[in-house]
Amino acid sequence: MLLRLISWPYARKHLLRMLLTAVGIVLGVAVFVGMHTANQSVLAAFHETIDRIAGQTQIQVSAGEAGFDEDVLEKVENVAEVRAAAPVIEATISTGRGNLLVLGVDMLGDRNLRSYDLEGTDESIDDPLVFLAQPDSLIVTKTFAEDRGLKNGSRIPMLTMEGERVFTIRGIMKPGGLASAFGGNLAVMDIYAAQKMFGRGRKFDRIDIVLRDGVALDQGIAKLRAALGGGFEIEPPSSRGEQFEATSHIYALASNITSVFALFIGMFIIYNTFAIAVTQRRGEIGILRALGATRGQIRTLFLMESAIAGLAGTLAGVGFGILLARAMAGYIGGLIEEVYGFAQSAQSIQVEPWLIAAAIAMGMVTSLIAAVIPARAAAGVDPVKALQKGRYQQLGEGENRLRRRWAIGCAALSVVALAFRSVTPVFYAGYLLAVIAAVLLAPALALWLARALRPVLARMRPVEGTLAADSLLQGPRRTSGTVAALMLSLALVISLGGLARASYDSIEEWMRIALNPDLFVSTAETITARSFVFPASLGDGLRAIDGVEEVQPVRTVRVRVKNTPVMLVAVDVDRVARRAKLPAVEGDSAEMYAQAAAGKGAVVSENFARLHGAKLGEVLDIPSPAGTLKMPVSGIVRDFSDQQGSLLISRDVFNRYWHDDSANLFRIYLKPGANETAVRKAILDKYGSHARLFVLTNRDLRNYVSRVTDQWFGLTYVQIAVAVLVAILGIVNALTVSITDRRRELGVLRAVGGLRRQVRGTVWMEALGVGAIGLVLGLGLGAVQLYYTVEIARRDLIGIEIGYVYPVRIAVALAPVILMAAFLAALAPAESAVRGSLVEALEYE
Amino acid sequence: MRAGLRNDSTESVISLRGVSKTFDGKRKVTALAGIDLTIERGEMVAIVGASGSGKSTLLNLIGGLDQASEGEIEVDGQTLKTLGDDDLTRVRRDKIGFIFQFFNLLPTLTCLENVSLPLHLRGWPRQKIEDRGRELLGLVQLGARMEHLPDELSGGERQRVAIARALSIYPPILLADEPTGNLDTATGHDILKLVRDLHERLGSTVLIVTHDMAVAESCARTIHIRDGRIFQDVRK
Repeated sequence: MLLRLISWPYARKHLLRMLLTAVGIVLGVAVFVGMHTANQSVLAAFHETIDRIAGQTQIQVSAGEAGFDEDVLEKVENVAEVRAAAPVIEATISTGRGNLLVLGVDMLGDRNLRSYDLEGTDESIDDPLVFLAQPDSLIVTKTFAEDRGLKNGSRIPMLTMEGERVFTIRGIMKPGGLASAFGGNLAVMDIYAAQKMFGRGRKFDRIDIVLRDGVALDQGIAKLRAALGGGFEIEPPSSRGEQFEATSHIYALASNITSVFALFIGMFIIYNTFAIAVTQRRGEIGILRALGATRGQIRTLFLMESAIAGLAGTLAGVGFGILLARAMAGYIGGLIEEVYGFAQSAQSIQVEPWLIAAAIAMGMVTSLIAAVIPARAAAGVDPVKALQKGRYQQLGEGENRLRRRWAIGCAALSVVALAFRSVTPVFYAGYLLAVIAAVLLAPALALWLARALRPVLARMRPVEGTLAADSLLQGPRRTSGTVAALMLSLALVISLGGLARASYDSIEEWMRIALNPDLFVSTAETITARSFVFPASLGDGLRAIDGVEEVQPVRTVRVRVKNTPVMLVAVDVDRVARRAKLPAVEGDSAEMYAQAAAGKGAVVSENFARLHGAKLGEVLDIPSPAGTLKMPVSGIVRDFSDQQGSLLISRDVFNRYWHDDSANLFRIYLKPGANETAVRKAILDKYGSHARLFVLTNRDLRNYVSRVTDQWFGLTYVQIAVAVLVAILGIVNALTVSITDRRRELGVLRAVGGLRRQVRGTVWMEALGVGAIGLVLGLGLGAVQLYYTVEIARRDLIGIEIGYVYPVRIAVALAPVILMAAFLAALAPAESAVRGSLVEALEYE
Repeated sequence: MRAGLRNDSTESVISLRGVSKTFDGKRKVTALAGIDLTIERGEMVAIVGASGSGKSTLLNLIGGLDQASEGEIEVDGQTLKTLGDDDLTRVRRDKIGFIFQFFNLLPTLTCLENVSLPLHLRGWPRQKIEDRGRELLGLVQLGARMEHLPDELSGGERQRVAIARALSIYPPILLADEPTGNLDTATGHDILKLVRDLHERLGSTVLIVTHDMAVAESCARTIHIRDGRIFQDVRK
């Protein structure tokens, strides 16, 4: 009843403010729902593809990405518990219109596992031997065929490792089941044709297995493990998703940080609005109390108002989040492909009920927490004083002092926590305490800064400036939440900006050292794609080209070490170290490379060591088709090759254990004076027509790495944009309240001769004041937050030591941006200040 | 003698012809209906009437704080209806001083700053503003309270500051809306005496809206408003 009689009329009267209040929650929830839904959708699409491709497969045998020799199939088939085993080659290729997942299967045995529901009847498919006899055969899905206007008998060219080959469509799968995998962008070919197409030699990527009836999964796995040895991954298909999940973990963490921050900032806006509402409605509260409302009823009234605003904001946020997810899913799929080399895209959005429940809980809890203090203040209103007219805007000195004491206490504890920062919970508690100290201190600091600003503003514009500064001084409750929100968002900008700047600098330095060849010969336009491999013999051919001084073959595969999919890099360590010795973090540089070259050690990246706790000298278990390779860590270097970490081993060791001398990439150094363009052309002339080969210049590769880095930090920019947007909404909110509070004052100003531009001027200057104060505090807190961000990145996110460098340029650039944003935020409130009845303004209480 | 002020001519400084004011809401309310009125330069006029009779509305229209629904108002030779918002503001700034019942001082500004406000808005040089502010506060006997905030003053003192502010540009017209309405009798008497004294010394045309007959009796002319119309116009 009170809600209808008391709250609703107030909300209706201050509708704009209420909407602005909810926007903080809307944005926070939208980012949370949007980014997680997009992430989940990509993940769900990945799982769905795995499930559909798996068919009846119970167990898959693989050896990381490297594949294994064909004879493993025989060993598997000899296991008594195995009913059917089918070798598979699986790779994605770019078609120029998105990615196509190509599945190489043995048609003779594969139908035991997978159902190929084909349109019409085609003899060539009905008789797999005929299909096999024609190595250019291809089965595509109806979706793919219709998209591209293809039918049975159509011919499509594809760039294989043997140059361009024309394939003939000899089967079209009906939608559903296998045909729905990878969004329907699927093609099936004979496995031996796939070996040639992708340059796999006599290797398979994996073997899909169905066990005999009555054989338990664990039993089957144990028997297979016994038959194959420890170097294989033998697990159900669903386990493949874990790798994908592990690699997208950092991304999920980043989206969590953004949404929590947006909600945190939104919380201050709600706090601000309700603190103001309590102040403005003191008279009303006094009347209610005088009429017999209990303190509990008043408190509940305000909490209910906040809960309703929170619920409305949350529901709108969920809606926006789902729209955002649709826009983001493609971006995330692309990002994961670029950064990790897994092509995947979500065709539809998967909205998880738990996510919606979590979002509603987050939105509601945030709203309620934000309203607790104002609701308590409302309940504590003295009815006698509340019914008296007078000034009640200023914070009580006692309250301020208490807050300052708490702030100093928190700050002191956070400093103490620094001494024990090696203990992770203590470190994070210290970080939290530092932020709490800053938030608690913000109102007092804002007041001091407003006092300092007064003479400056008064000097600039005696009337407008003085009144603007006085408004800041008079309405600490009005501005403190906004200033805190702005401070937090700018601190986020500084810390993420600082981290990004330092990361760019570090990556730039890494590129200078590690990516110093003149040319790179790759199987794809990007170096993260690992679907195709070159034969080792290509290296000899490249060496023979005029102008080439040195060719370094590189084989990269993802393998599971310390339960993490890390990048194994096999090179001729001696030669690579002579040209590109990465800076050592632990261990002697010369010795670590010498040991690795001799096959007696692995040089691991700093991020692998930090994130997965690898120590110098520790013996790593690296699974390989020839059994577990035990390799001690001979040194730790600063390397940005892979976000999960990289292990550099000798190519000889790799050949021995993986029986694989192929390469993903050739690093080419030119002779002094050789012309880069001419050599590039010579390579393309020699191999371009009969091999799948891309030649990237040093500049191309650096641009590519920079682009991937930009894409990664694209998320940071989204975070920054959301944080700043929420803070700017806070300024609009504070100013909307300010012009209501100052209505009489502005009316007087106009009555005694203030022109419209002068009234606008005072509102603009107030906004600039809020912006300037938030800027000073934000840049200050940013310095502290940057320290924690760098530390968190080092210990938990990327595992690389990034120097603390305050981003002065970003700070300098922020000043005009924020002041301009504050000014823009003030335009509508200023206009509203000069409109409306002057008589009403003068009579306004 | 100050500019614009004391002279014995009988030219009209304020004239209203057929002025009406209606407020459109759920119900249309007519606050003033067909007012014809001329105020001559240097007059001290009381506008009296019961609460809701339209006297404050009349003052607001003359002061350019509100627009008439019908009719024409001319202030010191300028027809208000033809003026835009900024020109109306300039009329207020250059020709009119306001005294309000609730003082309408800005609580964060000192007495001197409050009095100086209209001068700053006119862009006067700082020293000239300060000299004028001090002079006016001396005139209203608040020379010792220049740096005080309004909250530190009594009701009567606040009204004196408001009067000093209204006089800061020595306006030819002074509009006072219940200047003693928020004061006790003795203080109200003092304020009225001050207004009359300033009127005599500076020669401003003074319009005082009041429901206090004692205030009305101290004016040379009294206009009675009833139900939005001039019911009686008495010159002593």
